Amino acid sequence: MAAAVVEKARRGGAELAEAYFARSEELLVEVREGEVETLKLAREEGIGVRVIRKGRLGFAYTSDLSWPAVKEAVAGALANAGTASEDPYHSFPEPPPAYPDLELEDPLLKEVSLAEKIEKAREIERAGRAFDPRIRLTERASYEDARYLVAIANSRGLLASCRGSFCGGYAVLVAEADGEQETGFGIQFTRKFKELDAGAVGREAAARAVRLLGARRLETGRVPVVMDPHVVASFLGMLASALSAEAVQKGRSLFAGKVGKSVAAPGVTIVDDATLPGGLLSSPFDGEGVPGQRTVLIEGGQLRGFLYNTYTAARDQVASTGNAARGSFKSTPEVGSTNFYLAPGGFAPEQIIESTTWGLYLTEVMGMHTANPISGDFSVGAAGIWIEHGELSKPVRGMVIAGNILELLEAVDAVGNDLRFFVGKGAPTIRVTGLTVSGK
Amino acid sequence: MLEKADLEEILQVARKGGDFAEVFLEKREITKIGCEARKIERVITGAEQGAGIRVLREEHTAYGYTNALDKENLIALARQVGRAAREKPEARVVLETRESPVALPIRQRPDQVEIERKAALVRAADEAARSVNEKLVRQVTVNYGDVIQRVTIANTEGTYVEDERIRTRLAVNVVAAEGEVIQTGFEAAGGAQGLELYETEAPWELGRRAARRALLMLNARRAPAGRMAVVLAGEAGGTMIHEACGHGLEADLVQKQLSVYAGKKGEQVASELVTVVDDGTLAGKYGSFRFDDEGNPAGRTVLIEKGILQTFMYDHLTAARDGESPTGNGRRESFQHKPIPRMSNTYLAPGDASPEEIIRETKTGLLVRKMGGGQVNTTNGDFVFEVAEGYLIKDGEVSVPVRGATLTGNGPEVLRQIDLVGRDLGFAIGTCGKDGQGVPVSDAQPTIRIPELIVGGILEKEGDRD
Repeated sequence: MAAAVVEKARRGGAELAEAYFARSEELLVEVREGEVETLKLAREEGIGVRVIRKGRLGFAYTSDLSWPAVKEAVAGALANAGTASEDPYHSFPEPPPAYPDLELEDPLLKEVSLAEKIEKAREIERAGRAFDPRIRLTERASYEDARYLVAIANSRGLLASCRGSFCGGYAVLVAEADGEQETGFGIQFTRKFKELDAGAVGREAAARAVRLLGARRLETGRVPVVMDPHVVASFLGMLASALSAEAVQKGRSLFAGKVGKSVAAPGVTIVDDATLPGGLLSSPFDGEGVPGQRTVLIEGGQLRGFLYNTYTAARDQVASTGNAARGSFKSTPEVGSTNFYLAPGGFAPEQIIESTTWGLYLTEVMGMHTANPISGDFSVGAAGIWIEHGELSKPVRGMVIAGNILELLEAVDAVGNDLRFFVGKGAPTIRVTGLTVSGK
Repeated sequence: MLEKADLEEILQVARKGGDFAEVFLEKREITKIGCEARKIERVITGAEQGAGIRVLREEHTAYGYTNALDKENLIALARQVGRAAREKPEARVVLETRESPVALPIRQRPDQVEIERKAALVRAADEAARSVNEKLVRQVTVNYGDVIQRVTIANTEGTYVEDERIRTRLAVNVVAAEGEVIQTGFEAAGGAQGLELYETEAPWELGRRAARRALLMLNARRAPAGRMAVVLAGEAGGTMIHEACGHGLEADLVQKQLSVYAGKKGEQVASELVTVVDDGTLAGKYGSFRFDDEGNPAGRTVLIEKGILQTFMYDHLTAARDGESPTGNGRRESFQHKPIPRMSNTYLAPGDASPEEIIRETKTGLLVRKMGGGQVNTTNGDFVFEVAEGYLIKDGEVSVPVRGATLTGNGPEVLRQIDLVGRDLGFAIGTCGKDGQGVPVSDAQPTIRIPELIVGGILEKEGDRD
């Protein structure tokens, strides 16, 4: 099919043509009070067609794989190229010599019965509810898995395909005491069904909820902040977009013109790695068929480079780093990260807290999507535990922490050894010397 | 698409597994045009179709979806989804077409407008934004989108609805820079309208407004940090009301005891000045529709009246649990999602005060002229939202602009505190996310004063103070 699409587009007048096919099957099980609340089965497939005609790019997609519908998508892509602006940097990659060999599919996933998967969701909830009598409600306890197939063909002779699967558990539990409610979440996604630790997901959600009970607001001040891996991973979203070559080329990155310069504390190393074993976003090739690779972006605080897809690489006359990200067959390949992480340091998280005389151990942030990746300014809702004399003391909530991502990176003075991934972003615990925490 | 008789057969098969079955068929055609760096970079058209089948048995939902719309495939899916439970004999399903009292006339259907004309709107917004200040405006991104969604909804209660939803949207993002300072400005307009929307919401006006805001913020000071009085201007949009109270009034969260408003119908939950309405019937608004995604007509629901909690927003499932009628708030992002209670157009109703007076009566505080995004923890009511354009108020006068502020508070506390409500009303549009589903909404409020909110700004480092 993909080859026929490419041929059809060529005959329609495209200099270059590409077809991207994706199919997925997903299962979601949500339980509450031990009963299945929602069971969702899904099947989806579709094809996206990109063409370059007279230096102009056009794109169209369809989920209807009948030949008339696909032909219409090809015609749509050609017509859309007519409206787009001309740009000499548009091109599609040539076939590479080889792709990395990655283990992305768990054959066991097909064998496991639905009943066993439902039991995983129940186990998450049970473990969470049993963790502490103050856990009163389940906002969510779910198991999900997916199997997918991706294939790309272009008129330069590139042809690539891969299959993969993953599964995961997610929980949000509510703790209650003295008429006050707090929520906590637990999450784990993995390539291997056997590695999924459902009990741990439930216990983590419960522990996070319970420790916030009785939380109060603190006075406004500038204080040292220890961030747990999930909070740090939330900040990495902002960094990933600022480290894309697209943001740099379009004048909306705070890292523009800083390659080779120090942009963070010496303990900060940031890596994107599409070949990471077991990584949820690992893939032999990106959304254009370019091989996935490991790219060091910031090393020891120094900016090394950016993430590229084929277009941005052509503009900078460098090689693509294999970071053309495609959400689905419905989107064009933009620059995006794969397994993007802050490399671990040498300290145990407990050591970091012990060595903090006073400050905030930040465990929850709210409204991270409002942070501005262009200016780097952020101002987000915050909750966590106050640290006094190196010990966790009282819970706090209803606060705001604000600052700028560059200042934050420069102020990192401790990096933990507890690297942990939350789907595509990974981070250890870190400490930042000072941030404004607004409260009373 | 499929005939009524086919749908009856599919429903019959699906219902064997439960008390209620529903088929949601969807065909969606989209156009997107993206412009950045003075170039029309992306021109995308797409066609997608699919069906979602839902079977309810007591409190359980089974949901399945597929792209393949042939009858055999859907019967197979219906059987699979329905298998969740026992066999049980049922009367035949007879579908009757429903009409909606809501009219949403479209004058310029997007599928009858040349793509070049749409691209011209995008270019006009781009040029207008750049012309505000050629030197300091560093980047302009304009995104246009339209969607034509055709749905057929049929269920075992006999509901049969065929509907077409048309929406268009245009958004402008401007980056301005001076020295080391980079700031951004954003403006968007969208509606359940065709291209006639841009007769009242001119693309160049959106471009200019976004550029002016980015430039204004270049000279803004960093926002102060701490507790202070906040005046939210009518033009600021309704993010606060959406987050601080809207989500907590969605019946699913209430029934799961995940809302601070659970069990409070008939109680005073807000100041007497506060009336909150969700209205999916407003002409042309971004969150309007004729039918919700379960085939119920859009409704106007008074949620809070003069501070007293009246009711919640219901879909089919939550209404049945509470013995209420659905309020037309059952919405889903697409055939890939099950319907859940969602807001449509939500607003805090106007009061008597003049907006100028409200500012004059505020000694010191923060004036918010434009809100950005927000989020709420419905379980404890804590919310945050971003200030896109803010000013200090000094001695009842609007003073210098400030940037980088986020406001946080607690929904019920804030609703009780509101002490002045203006007579103006300003709408803003957005995509509201819940359970991983995004739906178009709008929200609005008049100018209001909240005596105390936490403003999250930045304290300068020791020694940096002047």
